[in-house]
Amino acid sequence: MATPAEPQVATPTLIRKVTHYLHDGFHARCHGEYEAPPALGDARWTADLLMAGWYQSEHGRPPAHLEHRVGASGGGFDRLAFAFRGADDATLGDAGRPSSDRRVGDAKGSAPDDVLAQIDTTIPLNRRDDGRQIVLSAPWYGGGMSFGSVSENVMVSRARAAQAWGTLTCTGEGGYPPGLVPFKDNVITQVATGLFGVREETIQHAPVVEFKYAQGAKPGLGGHLLGDKSTTAVANIRESVPWVSLFSPFPFHSVYSVEDHKKHIDWIRTVNPTALISVKVSTPADVDMVAVGSYYAGAHIIHLDGSYGGTGAAPEIAKKNIAMPIEFAVPKVHRHLEAEGIRDQVTLIASGGVRTAYDIAKAIALGADGCVIGTAELVALGCTRCSNCERGRGCTYGLTTTDPELQAWVQPDWGAMRLLKLYKSLQWQLRDILHQLGMGSVRELRGRRDVLRYVAANGGDR
Amino acid sequence: MTPEVDRDPTDPFIADVTAQRHALPVAPRDRESAAEGGCGVVGLASTVPIAGRHLITPLAQMRNRGNGKGGGIAAVGLDAAAMGVSADVLAEDYLMAVAYVDPAVRDEVERTWLHAAYCVDHTWEVPRLEDWHVLPGIEVAPPEVVVYFVRPRADHLAAFWAQFTPQSGLGPHAKRVEDEYVQQTNHRFNVDYYAGPGGTRAFVMCQGKDLLVLKMVGYAEDVIRYYRLDDFTAHVWIGHHRYPTKGRVWHPGGAHPFVGLNEALVHNGDFANYQAMCDYLAQRGLKPLFQTDTEVAAQVYDLHRRTYGYPLEYVIESLAPTTERDFTQLPPDKQAAYAAIQATHIHGSPDGPWFFIIAESLREAWCLIGITDTSMLRPQVFALQEGPTHQIAFAGSEKQVIDAVLDELAAADDRFWRRADRYWAARGGSHTDGGAFVFEVTRDADGAKHLRCTDKFGRAVTLADVGIGGDGSVDVVDAVRTTDDVATTNGATNGATNGHANGATNGQSNGRAETTASPSPGILPRPLVAAWTEAAATAYLDALAASARPADPAARAAAFAALDALFDGPYDPGALRASRLIAQLDSVLESVVAAIAVAPCEGYRVWAGPGDDAPPAPATTLIVDATGLEIEGPTSLARVLVEAVQAGWRRLIVVGCTGHRFIGAGMGPESDGVRIDVYGASGDYLASGIDGATIVVHGWAQDQLAQIMKRGTLVVHGDVGQAFMYGAKGGRAFVRGDAAGRPLINAVGRPRVVINGTCLDYLAESFMAGDPLRDGGFVVLNGLRSDGRGGWTELATPYGGGNLFSLASGGAIYVRDPHRRVTEDQLNGGAFVSFTPEDWAVIAPLLDMNAAHFALTIDRLLRVDGQLRAPEHVYRKIAPGKVKALQAEEAWVAHAGH
Repeated sequence: MATPAEPQVATPTLIRKVTHYLHDGFHARCHGEYEAPPALGDARWTADLLMAGWYQSEHGRPPAHLEHRVGASGGGFDRLAFAFRGADDATLGDAGRPSSDRRVGDAKGSAPDDVLAQIDTTIPLNRRDDGRQIVLSAPWYGGGMSFGSVSENVMVSRARAAQAWGTLTCTGEGGYPPGLVPFKDNVITQVATGLFGVREETIQHAPVVEFKYAQGAKPGLGGHLLGDKSTTAVANIRESVPWVSLFSPFPFHSVYSVEDHKKHIDWIRTVNPTALISVKVSTPADVDMVAVGSYYAGAHIIHLDGSYGGTGAAPEIAKKNIAMPIEFAVPKVHRHLEAEGIRDQVTLIASGGVRTAYDIAKAIALGADGCVIGTAELVALGCTRCSNCERGRGCTYGLTTTDPELQAWVQPDWGAMRLLKLYKSLQWQLRDILHQLGMGSVRELRGRRDVLRYVAANGGDR
Repeated sequence: MTPEVDRDPTDPFIADVTAQRHALPVAPRDRESAAEGGCGVVGLASTVPIAGRHLITPLAQMRNRGNGKGGGIAAVGLDAAAMGVSADVLAEDYLMAVAYVDPAVRDEVERTWLHAAYCVDHTWEVPRLEDWHVLPGIEVAPPEVVVYFVRPRADHLAAFWAQFTPQSGLGPHAKRVEDEYVQQTNHRFNVDYYAGPGGTRAFVMCQGKDLLVLKMVGYAEDVIRYYRLDDFTAHVWIGHHRYPTKGRVWHPGGAHPFVGLNEALVHNGDFANYQAMCDYLAQRGLKPLFQTDTEVAAQVYDLHRRTYGYPLEYVIESLAPTTERDFTQLPPDKQAAYAAIQATHIHGSPDGPWFFIIAESLREAWCLIGITDTSMLRPQVFALQEGPTHQIAFAGSEKQVIDAVLDELAAADDRFWRRADRYWAARGGSHTDGGAFVFEVTRDADGAKHLRCTDKFGRAVTLADVGIGGDGSVDVVDAVRTTDDVATTNGATNGATNGHANGATNGQSNGRAETTASPSPGILPRPLVAAWTEAAATAYLDALAASARPADPAARAAAFAALDALFDGPYDPGALRASRLIAQLDSVLESVVAAIAVAPCEGYRVWAGPGDDAPPAPATTLIVDATGLEIEGPTSLARVLVEAVQAGWRRLIVVGCTGHRFIGAGMGPESDGVRIDVYGASGDYLASGIDGATIVVHGWAQDQLAQIMKRGTLVVHGDVGQAFMYGAKGGRAFVRGDAAGRPLINAVGRPRVVINGTCLDYLAESFMAGDPLRDGGFVVLNGLRSDGRGGWTELATPYGGGNLFSLASGGAIYVRDPHRRVTEDQLNGGAFVSFTPEDWAVIAPLLDMNAAHFALTIDRLLRVDGQLRAPEHVYRKIAPGKVKALQAEEAWVAHAGH
């Protein structure tokens, strides 16, 4: 490696210059001003989906000229389509169309905006009748991304957007940077296996405390942050040793059974009696049993994290090979909760590869109440899915970094605005879907597997 | 020679039995029904028969470990008369309890099956309450249970016998064949009437001799209530609350205990390899019927113990294999035997967190056995109390449940007192104790009963370690002590920063004057105790209780100081039994609190229950009686304490704990100035998250203490349980005794901890607490044990586990190891580094505080075989190993100086 350049934190001029070119690039790419780079995207997050994310984050509407509904993974949500009334389902098959054939601009809805605006997208999080109620304005909230995995600027961008939109975001497992405190009513405190940064005050701040038992991208592993990213600032918040890789254990060393789990929840509720309790688990074969056990232990939210999610930092061996796909796990758990007679006492949240409004709607139709999104938010902020997330200075877009220079590329004002536009677009699309299904509320969609159809590889039904 | 540990080819019985079992019917298996959660378990073995009623309150206190979907008990060493049989019948007949889930089938069962297969010598209708609805914990009608005392019918037995190759049906095998007849006959019945397509109508709950199992959908104490076992006595009991997590309809057949033939097994935990274990059993012809992992554990145990005839040590090894460094510490012959066991039976070894309690009825003894998994992932406590005319031993999930049983017994029977002489935990799969303890009640020819406690290797566990002779009398041989005398230890308390009135700790050493009946309050009894007779002690304690009756703050402060000195020790109890003295102190404390409740004073008042919003007065101590407060939840003790602190109280005393959890949690940031003294059987998660407060536990503590502790002080005058200070960020903690598994795991920041005993294993794994010389954290591990005589003895090694400071990236361990017993192979990522004067400068102040709490002076710590040594010759430092070279980006940032 060449001798490192004399380091310096970005000057205001440099920040202006770099962010100008970055923003200009996001705009130009998604408006077709330049051809999409040949290496952009992957089968799950296609170039169209990435660029559609950038477009929505500018316009608050999906683009007509980009396939913004599905990817090309050949599985998962990409094999499911809505059986809309009468109309030919247009969910699939556009991705291959040459972009030159498309007219740049906003997608059109199935009804005028004022009609769509009548459709209810809110969901309650507490169905147990025990105190605090939280109603989300739309059926999603932000997933846990720790300080260390992303920068404080990214966290504050998300928190601002959550506050403005009426939803939540999550600390992940890296503590509570001071910049989040003003947004604490919209910030979930995650209690994960390393207990990094978890203190009584962060539990007491939180409207929702999320126990992260496992993560769909790497079930059987705890969180990890390689030494590259554990900068002095990150280590200070976690109270660890700088530049040392941090591996959270798996599982909780205090929880080896469901009665321990109940005790764990009772502890948190002693510290904060009004917080809602979310239990985030991956999707093992007995995920239905885990969900029921969590409910009886006192959870308000069961959060199933499937295997498609995770950033580029998750180990390859884990992220592609373990856990049940989320579209299998959700109906399995939904039906099991129904059979137990407790479906309406608990909120079921799906995550792990939920990219688009269509993915959200499909997860709900499969039986979830709502979704957690993570990567989609990073895409809104410019992520290209280059999978360099684990390196301290690997993210040239300033997202998955805590490098003092790189993180300056994302300013919270800009970031929050992008995310709000994304949320607006997702909500508009969700309403459009509901309208086409003849539904007045997203709550009607839950568990309506009948409105979905499986699309075989040849495009036909199966 | 490698021992043959699977089927002995020379033993035709095993081959015959296995072949027959392969022909037994199978129940349709629902793979998904193997779901099992955690549980609460307790067991006892006693030379004195114990009535069922004494388990009711203790089990009720442990309800939070179950969910009412399964409860059960097992009893061994039964009262023949209560069941209307002679002692001979009880000893010779199989005690077969048939549970009629559908009582309508009873006639049919008796007619077509029972009398066909067995000679029934006696039938005992297990009594029950008329209406199960009076017990609110029961949601499903419990089965009617009928106990039949039976012998196999001779003609059937002969026919069964005929299936064996001739030599296996002879002499020594006669009983084995008969046992097998019962096992197979009842298996067929259970398939027909319970597990098969005919539905769940009836099943055999137990089938051994002198062993009774009762279980149902509900809590264990309701089993005792419903089947009216209040006055029913046994020498061995186990109780179990189940916490299954699946299904809306539960059956009593899914509740614990599960039986083989001579044993009943309960279990807390679950296995990851249930399917593999089923396959292992299937290869040996065994077919589970009840679809929970506990059943297969009972079957494996029965297979090894009864069918294969292994010694108990090998059975335990097959369940909890000795691994890693512990294996290498075994003698070569054991290594060979264990390697063979592991190679043959590893698939029958339950993989995952579990703790088994087994009640076993053998011709020669009634046994209680507790076994923990190799990694010690479930909570477990053992205890022993020995009096002149009784011995009783326990195994349980929590210390509080053991104390609760002793409370019950002490209230009903003068022979017992409220504290055990010794409490301890097993080190799973270890070469030291093997992770298992066995308590055998045996009978002399003259009917006298004896209780013998051994570890996995058959080594006796006695009270000698705690300074008590094995015959119940006090061991007065002073020469065995290698410790300083009491006067020295007492000197240390002069510097105590103990919150109570400190004048009291200036002890007077004139032993004679204070043996009178009227001590003036405030005199430290510690040095006097050795000279006390029982009468003198009682007189002193009566006077102590009386001294707190007037509403005089100074007298009460002095009374608390005296109580603390006696509770905390260490001191030489002389002719007294320490545990008995502590039990008396419990009563004195209760009467002091009662006196304060009646007559509050400026210095002390008792919280009067919900709605008591008395304003805090400066310098007034608020006493909170946990009796009647919930163990967890919105109306729990922990929340009352939070409210008291929010209202402005700063000095709190908690009494009457029976497993109350989360004490000290929820006070929020910056609780400096708050001090909570805790008496009784405190529960899990105590001191979790504290940030400035001081909490003193006057006795043993349970599991998960001081999770994420940030600042403040925790003092525990006893041992602490599992996962102590998991994820802690800072604070100081002082533990008089040992820590169980995984203390300080994932701790960061600057926690500074002294553990005066040892740890089971995994101390400070993934420790990330900076550099101790630059304000980081560390653990001092002293490897000493209070000898029960006021002094301290060195343990054989300060740390016996195979995993010390694994994967740690910061902080340090300072281990008192003058004989260099800790070795490199116990470290996994850590390294011994030189112990410098700077290190001593960092730990000495903490050891001074430690001395004030536990009267363990620095002089004593630095004394090795009587000689005062330099700190660097006594302590060793373990620091993180070198991290691999910085990567490119790190180098860049490091270079940049960020």
